[in-house]
Amino acid sequence: MAEAAGPRGTRWLWPLLALPGMVWIGLLFIAPLYVVLAILFGGVDPILRQPVPVWNPVDWDTTQFRYVWDHVVGPQPFFRAALVRTVVYVGLASLLCLLVAYPVAYFTARFAGRWKGPLLFALIAPFWISYMMRMLAWVNLLQADGLLNRTLSAGGLFDVHTHWLNGRPSTVVLGLVYGYVPYMILPLFAGLDRIPAATLEAARDLGASRWETFRRVTWPLSRPAVVVSLLVTSLPMLGDYFTNDLLSGSPNTSMIGNLINNSVLTPGQTGQAGAFVMLILLVSVIPMLIYVRSTRAGTDVQS
Amino acid sequence: MAGEPARRAPFTGRTALARRTVLRAALAGAAAPGLASLLSACGGGSSTGSPSAGETIPAPDNPVRWPISDANEMIASGLTPERGSTLRIYNYASYLSPRFLKDFEEKYGVEIRLSTFNDADEALTKIASKELAFDVYFPSYDSLGRLVQAELLRPLNHDYLTNTGNLWPRLRDPWYDRGSRYTIPYTIYSTGIGWRTDMVQTDVAGMSNPYDVLWDTDYANNTAILDDWHTAMAMVLLRNGIFDINTTDPQHIAMVREQLLDMRHTMSPSVTIGMYTELPAGKYGLAQMWSGDAINLPYYMPDKASVDVLRFWFPEDGRGEVDNDLSVVLAQGKNPVAAHFFLNDLLDDKIAETNFGYTGYQPPLLQFTPEKLVADGYVPENLASAVVLEKDFDRGVPLLQLPAAADAAYHQVWQEFKAGG
Amino acid sequence: MRGLFGWWRDPWRRPWGLLLVTVLYLAWSLLPVLVAALFSFNAGRSRTTWQGFSMRWYYGDPLRSVWHDASLHTALTHTLWLGVVATAVTIPLGVAMALGLDRWRGPLPAGANLAVLVSFVLPEILIAVSLLFVVTVLTTPLKLGTSGQVIGLVTYQLSYPVVIVRARLLTIGRDYEEAAVDLGASPFGAVRRVLLRMLVPAIFASAVLVFADVIDDFVIVRYLSGDSSTEPVSVKVYDTARAAPTPALNALTTLLLLASLLAVVIGFLAYRWFTRGEKEGRGLDVFTGEA
Repeated sequence: MAEAAGPRGTRWLWPLLALPGMVWIGLLFIAPLYVVLAILFGGVDPILRQPVPVWNPVDWDTTQFRYVWDHVVGPQPFFRAALVRTVVYVGLASLLCLLVAYPVAYFTARFAGRWKGPLLFALIAPFWISYMMRMLAWVNLLQADGLLNRTLSAGGLFDVHTHWLNGRPSTVVLGLVYGYVPYMILPLFAGLDRIPAATLEAARDLGASRWETFRRVTWPLSRPAVVVSLLVTSLPMLGDYFTNDLLSGSPNTSMIGNLINNSVLTPGQTGQAGAFVMLILLVSVIPMLIYVRSTRAGTDVQS
Repeated sequence: MAGEPARRAPFTGRTALARRTVLRAALAGAAAPGLASLLSACGGGSSTGSPSAGETIPAPDNPVRWPISDANEMIASGLTPERGSTLRIYNYASYLSPRFLKDFEEKYGVEIRLSTFNDADEALTKIASKELAFDVYFPSYDSLGRLVQAELLRPLNHDYLTNTGNLWPRLRDPWYDRGSRYTIPYTIYSTGIGWRTDMVQTDVAGMSNPYDVLWDTDYANNTAILDDWHTAMAMVLLRNGIFDINTTDPQHIAMVREQLLDMRHTMSPSVTIGMYTELPAGKYGLAQMWSGDAINLPYYMPDKASVDVLRFWFPEDGRGEVDNDLSVVLAQGKNPVAAHFFLNDLLDDKIAETNFGYTGYQPPLLQFTPEKLVADGYVPENLASAVVLEKDFDRGVPLLQLPAAADAAYHQVWQEFKAGG
Repeated sequence: MRGLFGWWRDPWRRPWGLLLVTVLYLAWSLLPVLVAALFSFNAGRSRTTWQGFSMRWYYGDPLRSVWHDASLHTALTHTLWLGVVATAVTIPLGVAMALGLDRWRGPLPAGANLAVLVSFVLPEILIAVSLLFVVTVLTTPLKLGTSGQVIGLVTYQLSYPVVIVRARLLTIGRDYEEAAVDLGASPFGAVRRVLLRMLVPAIFASAVLVFADVIDDFVIVRYLSGDSSTEPVSVKVYDTARAAPTPALNALTTLLLLASLLAVVIGFLAYRWFTRGEKEGRGLDVFTGEA
C-alpha cells in the first residue's frame, strides 16, 4: 500500500521524525564499527599494552589481524576449535529450541482457546525474568549436591553424583536452549497464529490424517515463521559467553564469545577481540540478509 | 564525529605522559610482535633474560628503589579524611572483610565503594583508562614496575603509616620497593595443591612428585587449576624441576605449553579462582590452590564435621611459589588521605586479625606468628601446611615481572590454553 | 468402541500430547526460578540445602543482606534506574523513527531500515565491544558507567519499538488519517490525534518489552560499567556466582523479579485502560506484532 505518504502537507514530517533515530544509529551503531577496525589495525602502547587506534587506513598495521588469521587457518590453529564449537553448539541448540518451541507454539496458537491469554503470559514470562536468575537457578540445581542429583538418586536408591557443571558440552548446549527458547516461541506463535483455522479444518474434512495435514499444510505455511524464529534465536546465541562461564568452568567448551571476553580486557590482546567481533559480523551477514528478505516478504504478504 | 580522535600518539589524547615514555614508545614501534619473532628475540638458554631498555624488573637478588616522578605528588601530612567522601577500592572478590569495611566507614565517616576484578590483567586495563578513579589497589610485584613506569601510583607519605612497625622486618624495606615508597605489604601466601580425601584416594603429599597428580587421569573432570597465567604456568615448570619460574627460555615455554594442553585434553580441569567455594561444594576434589583459600575452606564446607577431609600440600623443601600481595594508592584517586588511613588500618593487629578471619590470607605482622595459628585453632591440623612461615620466604620462589617479549610469549601460551583449541 | 487404533487416527481428538509437552515446557521453564526464589528464604548459607525459613537475606543479616549490603541494593536501584532512563529515551526515539521510516521513501530510509533490522538480531557483544572501544580511545561525553550503559542499551533496544510500531502501522494503514483530514482535521492533527492514539497499544507493548529487556541486560552493561556503583543486578549475580554466592543473591534476583512483574502488570493494566472501549487490538497480539 505504498501510496502518497499521508495527508498532504506532512511530507517533511516523516524525515524529521526519522532523523534523530537515524543519526543515533549512524553515530552509535555504524560508526563504532570503524573504531573497532581502527583498533584492530592499530597498535599497542609499550608499557601497559593498551590499544592505540590508527585512524588512517593508509597507516593500518595488519599484525594483529594476521595473528588471529594465522591461528585460525594457519599451522597452529588454536582458535579454530572454538569457532567450530560455536557453530556446532549454536546449531544444535537452535534445532533443539525448535523441537521444543514448535509444539508449544502450535498448541498455544491452535488449541489454547480461552487459555490463550494466560498461556501466552506464562510463555512471555521468561522475558522479564532475568537471564542471570534463570541460569543461576540451573547452576543451583546442577551442583554436585544439588536438586537434580538428589532427585536422580531417588532418595538413596542410587548414588548419583554427576558433575554436570564440569566442562560438559551437553550442559552448555542445554543451557543455551533453556536461555534462548523463549525468543523462539513468540515469533513461531505469531506465524502459526496467522494460519487460518479454516485451512486446517478443510484439510481434515478432505480426509487427511493428522500427520498429512501437518506435513502438507501446516509445515509449509509455517516455514517462513520457522526461518525467522531460527534466525532470531541463533544469531544472538553466537555472541554468548556467559552461559559457558556459568555452566562450565572449563576452556574445553569455550565459544567465540569467550575468545572475545578473554581478550578484550587483556593488555596486548584487545585488537584481537576486534578481529573476532568483525568475524561474527561477517558470519552473521548472510543469515541476516535472509532474515531481512523474509521479513520483507512477510510484510508484503500481509498488506 | 563527536570527540577528539588521538593522532598517532602512543597514548590516547586524554593521557599525558612524561616525554621520556613518549620517545621510548616511538622507538619501540606500535606493533605487537608474533610468537615466532618473540621467541627468537628471547634468545636461548639465558635464565633471567634481558629486559628491554628502560624495563626495571625487581628481584630478590636485584632490589630496586623506584624513582619518584614529579607527575604525582605525595600528599601533605596531618590531614584527615573528609567526612562524606567516597573511598574507591579495587580488589579481588572476597579479599577484604565486610566487617572491617563497615567499621572503617563508621570510624572515619567515609563511604567505601569496593569494586572487584577477576584477574590482574583486567584490573590493569581498567586502571590504565584512569576513568574510574580508584583510590586503593592490590597488585603484586609482578606488575609493580609497569605501574610505576606508567606513573599510576602515588608515593606514600609515611607520616600516616604509623603501623608499619607491626610488619615483619624483611617486608619493611622489601627488595621490590626499597624504602617502601609506593607499596605496603598486604597478605602473604603460598601456592600448592589442595584436595579432599573423600574425593581423592591418592596420598598426594606422599607422592614423589605431587604435581603429577594434576595429570593423573584417574581424576579427570575432578580437578581445577588457578585462572592466573603465571601461577598456573609456574606450576608446570615446578613439576619439571625448573625452579626459575620466570624463565624466558623458549624451550621451557614450549614445554609448558605442551604439558598444559595435554592436561586440558586428558583432565578437562576447571580454570577458576573460586576454589574456596567450589571445592567444598564438591564441584571437584583436587585443585591447585592458594594457601589462603585452603585456610578458608572449612568455613565453606557444608557440614562442619567433614572438615577433616581437607588437605593441603606445599613442597617440604620450601621450593614452591611464595608471594605477597601489596596495597598501593593510585594517583588517579580522588581521596588519597582516606586511602592512606585505609592502608594504615590494614596494618593494625586487631583489624588484620578480623580481615584474616574472613579472607584466610595471613597478614605479615609480628603479632601474628604462624605457629600460633594452628595452636590457637584458627587453622585445623590437617591444613597446617597452608600456613606460611617466615623461612618459606628464604627458600620459596616468587613470581616476578617478565620482560615484555617473554610476557607476550607466556600470554600467548595461556591464550591458546584458554581458547580450547 | 473404536479401539485404540481408531482413537489414534481420529483427526479431531483432543491434543493431549501437545498439552503434555506444553505443560512440561512450562514446568521446565519456570520451576527452577521458583526454586531459586524459594531458597532466598533459606535460614542458612546454603543455596542447595533447605535449613529453615528466614528473612535474613532480605533485611535480617547485618552485613550480607540486600538491605544492609550496599553493593547489593545499589545494584538493584541502579538496574531499575537504567530501566527507566533507557526506556524513556528508546521509546520516543523509536516510535518517531518507526513513523518516519514507514512514510519516507528513498535509499536513506531504506538503509536505516536495514540497519535497524540488523541491530535487532546481531549478537549484543558486537555493540558492547564497539562502544567500549569508543569510550576507551575517544574523548566523548560517553563515559564508563551510567551514561555509557544507557547509550549502549538504547542503541541495542532501538529496534524493538521500531519493529513493533511498524508492524502495527501496516495493519492500521492510511484510511483513518485520511478520513480525519476529510472531516476537517489538520494534517498534523490527524497524525497526533488519530494515528498516535491508535498506536498507543503498540507503544505500550514496546515500552514494557524494552524495560524488561533492559533490566535483564548483561553484556552491554557489563562492558560499559564503571565501578561497583554502576554494576546492575545481572553483573552482580555473574560476579558473585563465580565467587562466594549466598542466598542474598537469590534474594536480590527475586526482588528484581518482583520489580519486573510489577512493571509488566502496570504496563498491561495501563494498556487495557488505554484501549478501553476498543474491540480489536486488545489482545496480546500486539506483543507478537513483530514479524
